[in-house]
Amino acid sequence: MKRRQAMAVQRTAICLALCLFLAPVLWLIMTAYEPSRAIQSTPPALWFRPTLSNFAAIAANFNLPRLVLSSFMLSAGSTLLSLLFGIPCGYALARTRSRSAVFIAYALLAIRGVPTVVTLIPFYLFMQKLGLLGTWWAVILMNATLSTAFVTWMMFSAFRAVPVEIEAAAVIDGCTAFGAFRRAALPLVQTSVIAAALLCMMFAWNDFLNPAFLTRAETRPLSVALLTAFGGNTTSGWGDLGAMAHLSTLPIVAVALLLNRYLVSGLTRGAH
Amino acid sequence: MAAPAVIHVAVFALYPILRGIGFSVFRMNLMQPWLHRFIGLRNYTDALSDPAIRHSLAVTLIFTAACVTAELALGLCLALLLWADNRFNRVAAILMLVPITVTPIVVGLIFRALLDPSFGQIGYWLCALHLAPPQGLLGDTHTALATMIAVDVWEWTPLSALILLAGLKSLPSDILDAAAIDGAGACARLLRIILPMMLPSLFLVLVLRVTDVFRTYDIVFAATGGGPGDSTNLLMLTAVKQGLQFFDIGYGSAISILMTLAIAIMAALIILVLRGLDRRYSAS
Amino acid sequence: MKRRSILAAGLASAATVGLSHRGWSQSKPFDGMVLRLASCNDQFSPGLKALSARFKQETGITVIVDILGYGELQTKLTTDYVGHTKGYDLATTDNVWAPQFAEAGYTVPLNDWMKRDAAEMALDDIYPVLFTALGNYQGKQVAFPLAGYANVLAYRKDLYAAAKLQPPQTMQDLVDNAYKLTDRSRNQFGWVANGQKGAACAQDWMQYLAEIGGVLVKNGQPVIDSPLNVQSLTTYRDLFQKAAPPGAVNWDWDGREASFRSGLAANMQTWSVGALGYFDPAQSKVTNSAALMVTPTAAAMKPRYGIGGWGIAINADIDDRHKQAAWTYIKWITSPAIHIALNELDACSFLRRSELRDASLNRKYPFLPVIDESFTHGDPDFRPRVPQYPEIQDILGTAVNSALVGAMTPAAALAAAQTQALRYF
Repeated sequence: MKRRQAMAVQRTAICLALCLFLAPVLWLIMTAYEPSRAIQSTPPALWFRPTLSNFAAIAANFNLPRLVLSSFMLSAGSTLLSLLFGIPCGYALARTRSRSAVFIAYALLAIRGVPTVVTLIPFYLFMQKLGLLGTWWAVILMNATLSTAFVTWMMFSAFRAVPVEIEAAAVIDGCTAFGAFRRAALPLVQTSVIAAALLCMMFAWNDFLNPAFLTRAETRPLSVALLTAFGGNTTSGWGDLGAMAHLSTLPIVAVALLLNRYLVSGLTRGAH
Repeated sequence: MAAPAVIHVAVFALYPILRGIGFSVFRMNLMQPWLHRFIGLRNYTDALSDPAIRHSLAVTLIFTAACVTAELALGLCLALLLWADNRFNRVAAILMLVPITVTPIVVGLIFRALLDPSFGQIGYWLCALHLAPPQGLLGDTHTALATMIAVDVWEWTPLSALILLAGLKSLPSDILDAAAIDGAGACARLLRIILPMMLPSLFLVLVLRVTDVFRTYDIVFAATGGGPGDSTNLLMLTAVKQGLQFFDIGYGSAISILMTLAIAIMAALIILVLRGLDRRYSAS
Repeated sequence: MKRRSILAAGLASAATVGLSHRGWSQSKPFDGMVLRLASCNDQFSPGLKALSARFKQETGITVIVDILGYGELQTKLTTDYVGHTKGYDLATTDNVWAPQFAEAGYTVPLNDWMKRDAAEMALDDIYPVLFTALGNYQGKQVAFPLAGYANVLAYRKDLYAAAKLQPPQTMQDLVDNAYKLTDRSRNQFGWVANGQKGAACAQDWMQYLAEIGGVLVKNGQPVIDSPLNVQSLTTYRDLFQKAAPPGAVNWDWDGREASFRSGLAANMQTWSVGALGYFDPAQSKVTNSAALMVTPTAAAMKPRYGIGGWGIAINADIDDRHKQAAWTYIKWITSPAIHIALNELDACSFLRRSELRDASLNRKYPFLPVIDESFTHGDPDFRPRVPQYPEIQDILGTAVNSALVGAMTPAAALAAAQTQALRYF
């Protein structure tokens, strides 16, 4: 009985928190169905006659499938690259006793901490030299530098929590060092991998300045188009922004929900 | 195994950074290319002696400390709430991430609109009930910074919650079970067993959020532009303005590099403190 | 409604290809060429995008319109110019960037081509002030006028009639009326302007200052804290505190325009480019009572109507053939028929006398005579057109906002601004 009560309290608290986190986004989504005279009225309108004209407007002005595709490519590309680089790096740093490991980990973090103001223009010219300016690659490479550091650190702390004995046992069972990493250590940190992947995806998905700067009209993602939809200074773009926010929110949440069943506890799955 | 990451970062981050550091010792305004010349550390001394920048540093430090503390505390609460492994919690953990999917500039616009005392669904009622100053939470020098802190906490608490949750979920269950059998109370278990074992994740959240919050730009730029007065004028606003708006890329880079140094020092301090804690816990 | 009409008009214009511009449709010297145009996401940008199909049919040139926010556009363009990366062939250029671009030689001076093609382009049909305001620096035309905006006063006929007031003749009238039309109990305010720190509040105050005769830069030196300027900022602050809607100190253009469209504000000085929205029932609650007039000035002062807007410039780094093709596009987009078509697509951006007299545009825009008057007696220098403008604007953006929110007195704020500004001269 007491347990059930505690559960009810917990779930109520979670629901309240979710409301707080979702309400502002829901408000933005809702503006999509409002005529703009209702969005900015005073006192704020609590009721309005819904309209779909904002969706028609963004469909006429934007190549929506292309925007979604760009966002997915940038997000998937940055995430895959960061995981590919970051997971082994985090593992290596967690397992080595060498002093240089700490230095590398720290340097990665410091590089991530450099404001874009320093790097943006040199990176832009660099991409031009490589012929990648305006392509998805430019943004993916840029994002991957930042997210690699993030993944490395996340995996570093995850692998450190895994007892070395488990891998030692795997090696005794005949695994190579890499096999021990892949078969013994990696499954135990599955939750952290998924969490890191989710967060990388979202960092890339909501990134604005890098893609605004490094892409062209054809490779532009939703995050940049959102601001274009909001428009110039003189007309109300809230409705268009809200309509566009459907595309910039729903797909990524759907992908995240698909991944959510992997967000389970590592050690509960028969590691011993 | 660290090599690919190191090479990638060296090529695509370190190289641009080194060029940026090169810019910072020049008088270099892209709008006046004919005036470019080497000036040594002048940009740095200029930045350090500018009272406006010192004020911004103070604002940025307050902002960073408040945001990171709140995000860590609230994130931990959420992670503990979502710890039990069931479908409800897993879906809730994902839905909680929605704020992160919204581009920070748009987050700033949303909250400026919601808190507006004339049009905002929140701001109008707060003002009507005299719970907010007449010009709104973002229009008053006494409340604007606190409000921007709340906005940052709104957007990024889910991040720390997810990282901490991943940390909680990778705790070895046998130790936890043993603690439960010992009959330790919930509070004692949290303080003596769970938190010490969580140190790596806590550390990760701390360091990540300190480095990111210290560089906050978009939400504040969109919501207040650094105002009212100078009350929310974070350092990054000045750096972006100098570097990417006036194109005084030398000065902008110098400010940014000073910021990086500050970030590195803070990260080092956090590492030292947590290492000490780590040792104390593992010794006991 | 606004954007759907663009789609319809775009299709319609594609159907009438070749009727108006035989010259281009006959010979296509640049057939197959691709031009990239960076456009600010202002009122005209959807129209530019829609019309590029028509340009392609007439000339064979593909114009890819890349729409960017103001800040991104400025950063991206400058980087493109500085790095000589030729990312864009054409770019919409804010009038305040022109001095810097001209000094650095980033965009092509158009004077020779304009002289050569003057008759064909009917240049004397374009208001002379727009050439000065939208891209001329010390005689060099570094951007061609694309979208002219006039500073106008938007006001509410119904509220003026109810209060038995006349529309203001002088700035003093405007201030007096603002107080008389403020009635908090009815949630009605006589005054609104941008208050948000930064470009928003700086630009609106500069407009106000120019109208009472204030000067910011004199003989190449800043004179920001003159007694007249301090006096004007004091009046301005009082208006914000006593006659402006709650929240105005944190509004930029979006909030300010919304306050007029929603019926909250009775007077608003603004750029003409947003005016179409006041008469659009989907956006506005004041469609029947909104009116526009020329901005007032201090008594006994010559009218100083602020002129702003966008020019269009050619990247100096691209090769000659692309430059010529880009010039072809400029000639085309600013030609009388096409510019009217642009305005049929809601651009609300004007250039030509003939355009302002066009019957169908006059039906669509019920305020063109006001714009004609403003352009005829316009003042391109109400904001100082000096290379240090971005810094001055930024300094004022902090000073004015500090005064408005009461963090500093107007005198102290402007004195601090003067000290800072001196560093750039």
